[in-house]
Amino acid sequence: MSKTATTKTLITLTYLLGSVTLVLAAAGPAQKLVLEHYAVEAKANNAAFSGFSAERGKALFVSQSTTGKPDTPSCTACHTTNPRQSGRTRAGKEIDPMALSVKTDRYGDIAKTEKWFGRNCDSVLGRPCTPLEKGDFITFMVNQ
Amino acid sequence: MSAIQYGQSAQERTNESSVLVWDWGVRVFHWGLAVCVGICAYTGFLGPRNWLNVHLVVGVMIAALVAFRVVWGWFGSTYARFESFAISPSAMKRHVREIALGQCRRIHLGHNPLGAAMIYAMLVVLFLLVASGVVALGGALKQGPLAFTLAFANGSLARQIHELLAIALLFMILAHLAGVAFESWWTSEDLVRAMVTGRKREISSGSVQSNRARPWGAAAVMVIIAAAVTPGVILLSNLPARGVPQGPLDPTYARECGSCHFAYPPSLAPSGTWTAVMGGLRDHFGENASLDAGTTVQLREWLVDNAGEHWDTRAANMFSRVSPTEPLRITATPAWLWFHQDLPDKIFTSPAIGAKGACGACHQDAATARFDPQQIAIPKETKP
Repeated sequence: MSKTATTKTLITLTYLLGSVTLVLAAAGPAQKLVLEHYAVEAKANNAAFSGFSAERGKALFVSQSTTGKPDTPSCTACHTTNPRQSGRTRAGKEIDPMALSVKTDRYGDIAKTEKWFGRNCDSVLGRPCTPLEKGDFITFMVNQ
Repeated sequence: MSAIQYGQSAQERTNESSVLVWDWGVRVFHWGLAVCVGICAYTGFLGPRNWLNVHLVVGVMIAALVAFRVVWGWFGSTYARFESFAISPSAMKRHVREIALGQCRRIHLGHNPLGAAMIYAMLVVLFLLVASGVVALGGALKQGPLAFTLAFANGSLARQIHELLAIALLFMILAHLAGVAFESWWTSEDLVRAMVTGRKREISSGSVQSNRARPWGAAAVMVIIAAAVTPGVILLSNLPARGVPQGPLDPTYARECGSCHFAYPPSLAPSGTWTAVMGGLRDHFGENASLDAGTTVQLREWLVDNAGEHWDTRAANMFSRVSPTEPLRITATPAWLWFHQDLPDKIFTSPAIGAKGACGACHQDAATARFDPQQIAIPKETKP
């Protein structure tokens, strides 16, 4: 790979991920790939996409919802408000902490993140999450 | 044992006012049985379910005591022998008539005719209790020497018979105590004390032990019985239990379903439940638990193939009746509610358990679908 090509790739990535890449010191290569996937989707949805925000991710995580299933009014209903702490399903099973710093293999497998966003966004919000919401959420969690 | 208890009449008469009636074998049997029956009655009727092993061990001790008493009926001393207290309806009638008319306050050195009948009745009921207990254990709990062959239905019936016999025995014990109290008053012979010391007042020169106990003969017979029974019981108990699932859960099932809740062994619910559950994962007990189509079909087939109908455990049988209002919820089945009725609701939401569906929090063998009473261990942290 030539020096110019490498520079081009870097510029493209920076453009796509915006500032996210810079704050992702904690994220490993697998997490970056997943975020990249959502960034491409977010950009496709909205040309004005300028990167994910941990702040928005946090707001989504702690928000209360009335549009989902009544037993799951928020992410924190099961995951607790502290991402570094274990949560618990309604059936009593412990859920590993959401923070990447505590559970280091999280958000590294796109099939897995899609499966759980697919289930839990429907349970909590009553609709699928947007790529922006997914990216914001993961950005928040990988920095926790 | 002293020479007095086994000795000739001359030695026994060293105490002029009393005579040895109940030899050590009868007394050890009597008080040992009283303690064992007390323990079994407590653990059976009142005690926590996970004390079953105490019930079983003491039940085996009762079986051994009954066997010993039968052997002692041939090898014991005079008043221990069955020949000294044969059942006689005419003697019973005469005895009742004498009491009714207040005619003759005869002291029976051994058992009086009514007491004799009670001894035989109790021995028979105790034998039936042990037998029905072993059948119940094998069929209903798939434990013990008959677990390899008995169906749940057999065990369930035996369990009811066992309970009725136990209630009958309690009434017999009450009648026995009333008889002892009455005869002690009627004859002025303290029968409780007599069963402790073995001695009663001498009533005539002929009232002596004419037959000596043969403890070594009794011991030999007991050893032969134990040697004949024990290996068979151990061998049979180690056979695979009938209708109990063996082997681990399907790994995909354990992973996919077990990530949110205890991975319920499929034998805990009938196939209709599993078909409906797998058809409704988008709204799975209030949450979306969708799986991809391939995995859904694969797991549904495995669940249906291993559903409750295919097994004969207590859970498979009892959870086959589903709740009319929440037919898919195992913890809403009438059997589940019955088994857990004594537990306060807040115990399930305590941090150590979390939810009613967290079977494994208390049932240490939940993953095997056996749910043995002995494997129940409610976490200490749930207690206030």
